[in-house]
Amino acid sequence: MASLTLSGVHKSYGSTVALAPTDFEVPHGEFVTLLGPSGCGKTTLLRIVAGIASASGGEIRLGGRRIDTLPPEQRDVAMVFQTYALFPHMSVRKNLGFGLRMKKVASAEQARRIEHAVAICKLDGLLDRMPRQLSGGQQQRVALARAIVMQPALLLFDEPLSNLDAKLRESLRDELVALHRRVGTTSLYVTHDQTEAMAMSDRILVMNAGRIVESGTPLALYRRPVDAFTAHFLGHTHLLRLPVTGRGKDCRVSLPWGASAAIDDLADGADSALVSLRPEGLSVVPDADGAGEVTAASFTGAQVNYTVRIADLSLRITVTAGDGTRLLPVGQRVNVAVGERLHALKSTGQDSGHEARA
Amino acid sequence: MKNASAADNRAHLVAWALLLPGLVFLGALFAGPLLWSLAGSLGLDQGLAGFTLEHYAQIFTRPALRSGLLVSIYYGVAPVAVTLVLSIGLALLLRRHFRGRAWFNGLYKIPMAVPGIIAALVVMTLAERGGFLDRLAAPLGLALPRLVRDPWGVGVILTSVWKQLPFMTLVITGAFAAIPQEVSHAARTLGAGRWRTLLWVELPMALPGISAAVLLTFIGTMGSFAIPDLVGPPSPRPLAVHMYAEFGSGHLPLVYAIGMLLSAFAVAVLLGYYALSARAARLLGGSARKDDHE
Repeated sequence: MASLTLSGVHKSYGSTVALAPTDFEVPHGEFVTLLGPSGCGKTTLLRIVAGIASASGGEIRLGGRRIDTLPPEQRDVAMVFQTYALFPHMSVRKNLGFGLRMKKVASAEQARRIEHAVAICKLDGLLDRMPRQLSGGQQQRVALARAIVMQPALLLFDEPLSNLDAKLRESLRDELVALHRRVGTTSLYVTHDQTEAMAMSDRILVMNAGRIVESGTPLALYRRPVDAFTAHFLGHTHLLRLPVTGRGKDCRVSLPWGASAAIDDLADGADSALVSLRPEGLSVVPDADGAGEVTAASFTGAQVNYTVRIADLSLRITVTAGDGTRLLPVGQRVNVAVGERLHALKSTGQDSGHEARA
Repeated sequence: MKNASAADNRAHLVAWALLLPGLVFLGALFAGPLLWSLAGSLGLDQGLAGFTLEHYAQIFTRPALRSGLLVSIYYGVAPVAVTLVLSIGLALLLRRHFRGRAWFNGLYKIPMAVPGIIAALVVMTLAERGGFLDRLAAPLGLALPRLVRDPWGVGVILTSVWKQLPFMTLVITGAFAAIPQEVSHAARTLGAGRWRTLLWVELPMALPGISAAVLLTFIGTMGSFAIPDLVGPPSPRPLAVHMYAEFGSGHLPLVYAIGMLLSAFAVAVLLGYYALSARAARLLGGSARKDDHE
């Protein structure tokens, strides 16, 4: 059972903290993603686990064995890089066999594992090519196969899809998910792309400014984020600080355009609450005397995106486009309704810039 | 169609006209003297009737000259081999971060600016019997072996290495720096330790740069005159030194012949290198070298 456990792992350069003391666990066979904006320390964390960067302190265990004191070649991890990092002077076959040769795997076993990896990564017919003769997608498949043949206890991915074009990225993403289901290797994946993270992961660790802000399943993090940063980073949202009216069970927040809405998770005695309004959690109601006005409308097929100017805010509202949906024209007066129960968010202070800016 | 070919011709003419200054320059300063030397070495400066291979024959029959060719090759190969090992070590050291690295990085390049003859004089003052090092070692009861004008040409090798080291290190450092870090990191996570990563991944990837540096320094030292003349043993001497001696005694055709032989050897090595790297490029399915021209 190879689960990965980090306790108190941290990294600083002089007085600059790149990574605050971090604890987390990736249970055996789980696919966990570190998600965050660039510079949040996610790649540093991954490189520390791989052993190609050193931590300033803390402990890393893989399958119960302490690995942070070992050099990368003894850690039983394999890594897939954003730039593919294939060996340009070796054929695909030699690339795939490199790690096996280094680990002195018997040649019959080498051949068996390479054959297996070629089959699942769809590399038939490419074995005798050189890396530069392959497309980006093919190169990344080779890199993936090169990691899989090692049968590592842990697979690490450093934004492996970022260099590919959109369509290829999506298909390779689905292949990666299918592959993980088949092989079941414990995996730690780094990305700044929230769609990628939500589509692939069993669990997401949201990172910001060198620390893990929140963790949970993609569904839980999207629907009921605890931290304002998570709400803001996953999907599109408007973060608003709203005054609280009433007490106890009748507790509500007043919306800037006059209406009020029920709220959960409010701290005792708080007189204001930070809430997240998702574009799909809002709806527009045409009303000649409405407080808002449609300033932009775009039809994208499955949905309509409106921008509504209301109470000095510019709100993005997404409406599912059914058969009978009528497109509201720009200039139409509307009211905005909140369709879901709101809940109060915790703010770690890193996101104050987004607050109330909508 | 006719118009098109006329335009083509005009374009060709313009291209040649633009190339002309360059061609004249190359012809006057490079091809001309080379052809003149070739003619002189064959006795053709006396007219067609003067044709002879005698001067070339001399190189291979006079013992001093015959060994001169071998010594030239030796003075080309030995310093380059020593420099190569030292430069790779230095380049690896310079990849790491240590205190004073920036200083060191600037200082090691100084010998590049020092002429060979000065380098030879420096080595003479340092390593000559009764020189600086000898006097330092004497109180300790140590006697230095003969390092200047010694039969093995240690003085020549020492000086050439001192002179070549910066250039070779510069090129090799560049070749290593051009390797993406991720590739080395990938090798590490795939089970290769530091040394095996160097041997199987980094050195092969740096090879085009390394071999070019080796070739250039080899050709440079093989023809060098000042260093072997000053710190080399009186006998045997390399061809370049013989050339100077023969020039002094007015045997111009022989000087031409030796010069042609040295040039031919350098060109042969160069062609061999191109053939090898072209073959390597084919084997690699077109290596990075080809990339440069695309």
